Amino acid sequence: MQTVGQQLIIAAIPVLPALVFFVLALFGRLLRENAQYVAILGITVSLVFSVFALLYVAGIIPGGGTPIEFSVTWIDLGEGGSFPMGVYIDGLAAVMLVVVCFVSLMIQLYSGGFMEGDRRFAWYFAVLNLFTASMLGLVLAPNFIELYVFWELVGLCSYLLIGHWFEKPSARDAAQKAFIVTRIGDAALFIGIIIFWRATGTTSFEGISEAAQAGFVGGLLFTAAVVLVFIGAVGKSAQFPLHVWLPDAMEGPTPVSALIHAATMVAAGVYLVARTYDIFVQSEQAMLVVAYIGGFTALMAATMALVKKDIKRVVAYSTVSQLGYMMMGLGIGSYTAGIFHLYNHAFFKALLFLCAGSIIYAMDSYNLFEMGGLRRRMPITFWAMVIAGLSLAGIFPLSGFWSKDAIVASAYDEHYYVLFVMALITVFLTAFYIFRAIFLAFTGEPRTEGARAAVESPGIMVGPMVILAFFSVVSGWVGIPDGFGIPVKDYFAELVVPSEFARETLGLEPHPFSLIMAAISALAGLIGIGLAYALYVQRPERAGALSRRFSGLYTFLDKGWYFDALYGATFVRAAKYVGRMAREFDRRILVGGLTGGVGGLVSRFGELLRRLQTGGVQNYALFILLSVLIIGVIAGAQYAFLVFAIIVLITITAFAVGSRL
Amino acid sequence: MPPMPLVPPLVQQLIDLLVAAPPLEGYLVVGAILFAIGAWGALVRRNAVVVFMCVELMINGVNLTLVAFADYLPNAGGLGASYAVLVIAIAAAEIAVGLAIVLAVFRTRRTVNVDEVTSMRG
Repeated sequence: MQTVGQQLIIAAIPVLPALVFFVLALFGRLLRENAQYVAILGITVSLVFSVFALLYVAGIIPGGGTPIEFSVTWIDLGEGGSFPMGVYIDGLAAVMLVVVCFVSLMIQLYSGGFMEGDRRFAWYFAVLNLFTASMLGLVLAPNFIELYVFWELVGLCSYLLIGHWFEKPSARDAAQKAFIVTRIGDAALFIGIIIFWRATGTTSFEGISEAAQAGFVGGLLFTAAVVLVFIGAVGKSAQFPLHVWLPDAMEGPTPVSALIHAATMVAAGVYLVARTYDIFVQSEQAMLVVAYIGGFTALMAATMALVKKDIKRVVAYSTVSQLGYMMMGLGIGSYTAGIFHLYNHAFFKALLFLCAGSIIYAMDSYNLFEMGGLRRRMPITFWAMVIAGLSLAGIFPLSGFWSKDAIVASAYDEHYYVLFVMALITVFLTAFYIFRAIFLAFTGEPRTEGARAAVESPGIMVGPMVILAFFSVVSGWVGIPDGFGIPVKDYFAELVVPSEFARETLGLEPHPFSLIMAAISALAGLIGIGLAYALYVQRPERAGALSRRFSGLYTFLDKGWYFDALYGATFVRAAKYVGRMAREFDRRILVGGLTGGVGGLVSRFGELLRRLQTGGVQNYALFILLSVLIIGVIAGAQYAFLVFAIIVLITITAFAVGSRL
Repeated sequence: MPPMPLVPPLVQQLIDLLVAAPPLEGYLVVGAILFAIGAWGALVRRNAVVVFMCVELMINGVNLTLVAFADYLPNAGGLGASYAVLVIAIAAAEIAVGLAIVLAVFRTRRTVNVDEVTSMRG
């Protein structure tokens, strides 16, 4: 059990960035460029608290070693149950907290330089903090309802940040696309949650898992609900077939892309599957869906990244691909490896984006073919990007190697040979495309004036890059498998473990570390790098010739397998048609018919009544008198005779008046 | 034999009728007639000043009714009479304001014919 003070510290982790959001949203105009210091202070304290949570859960702080768990009732339905708001931190959540806070801190430091002079500087930092707060809240959530609240907040923040430069039409469209596509997943997730709630009467992850074990929900309904929850994760984590929003999300400022891709938005989907792992493992079909969607996405996105000219899009597709890896890892049952990859990926993917941002900052272009020769001009960026690229390609001993190898090896060990081959091809493609980008940008001769005049970014941007480069190298060293021969404990595997129940259900057995597997996957990466070197450094003209010879394939890949065209021709067009119909219905029938009709009726009636307003004071007096009489008749019906006499009198009066009008 | 009356019985009856307190209905009828005449005048006369005078007639018709009721309903404690005083005060104020308005209208339009003052027409 934790003390109240410790609980307050835990609760402060998401609350502090949220508080910073309110401060910056309210006083942003006063703070201007100083907004970044407020933001950085908040997130630094959150990071310290997150580290505390990690140490507590890991058992280093005395009294710890168990998951942190407490909650309060939020909505009490009496007989119908209740919806609590609470906190549940096990090893998985603690690792995520630290990663999110750390990456967010690095990106906010970097943003101070990158966003300098932006019109909405303070607002940018405000939303960045709300984004972080939502993600932290999502990580802490012990039940579906609380998770869903933060899940939507994350979606909202990504919309705001992708559309930060909303003066650009493309940024507006990208923001809407991201919002709407992820919303499809969100709707599925919500339906899944409702099914679970109806079937089990609870929304807590643990409760649903136990209810399913006890047989309260099962069979097709259960599988359907699990798959629906997974579709939510697919939307958020940009998996096939809802991956189309992520490359477009590159319209946002580059540090935002780094945050979305490394720690907050897309990690949420993978985290959801990991968090509800005990539920997922109870449906074999759902696990297969997770694994194959993941594996296919990994391969598909890697092929798309091969031909992109935009440096950010190369990195974006690489994110889709890497998230596919993580999903695949979770789907085949190698829970620890999947999360380990999520954790390593956060560092090197953030770094890749910050490097890309550094180049963009220096030469104001995204196009790889306008770069070239930047190695001498921007040495720190170059080396940082090489480290990140090697880590992404899974080269020993950088961080990416350990987690990627673990996933690939377990695909083999668990006898998913198709996935194993797909993963191996992906490793090769990954190494190729990321080094294609690096070679195009940094080697050879400058291709434009911009590239010739580029200079290294300022220290506030380079600093976070160096720190992240350091972590891209060493972050994997906490999870070196025991069988590798280095006498270092596998801390990560001790901290982030699937539950006993999940292990039993999946029938997992520990597989010893296989040096051959590691060699194969590293070799695939090296071949990819070598091929990129041969094509883009030794003989640059060969790459062009190849793309011309296979121009059909080239266009197919460049257009992203025509997914955008397909969705545009079917769903988008259908949706627009429905929208036009609704608009016509609104204009013609609702506004033109109903509203206009009522309005016209009233105004015609008013036109009639208008004649009564003659302006003559005596007419008004007559109306008053008549009205009083009418009231008198109604009130004094028993004196009917008297009243009748007066009416006769007044009628004569009225006629007399009438004759004068 | 009874002494001869000084006046014939018919005349005596008339005297008695005149000397006796008049019945409530009499006051009420007079009040109603006053009110009706006032209303008639207020509705048909064109001169704003005359209209005001007719309004006064209406007010006084009501006042008469009030006072009569005050006299014939002792349980009311004379409230009607005091209310009549109030009405008189308000009537005075109303006439003061009303005549000022009539004067102002006359200055701008050189007329007090209410039929010609219709600028509030809708």
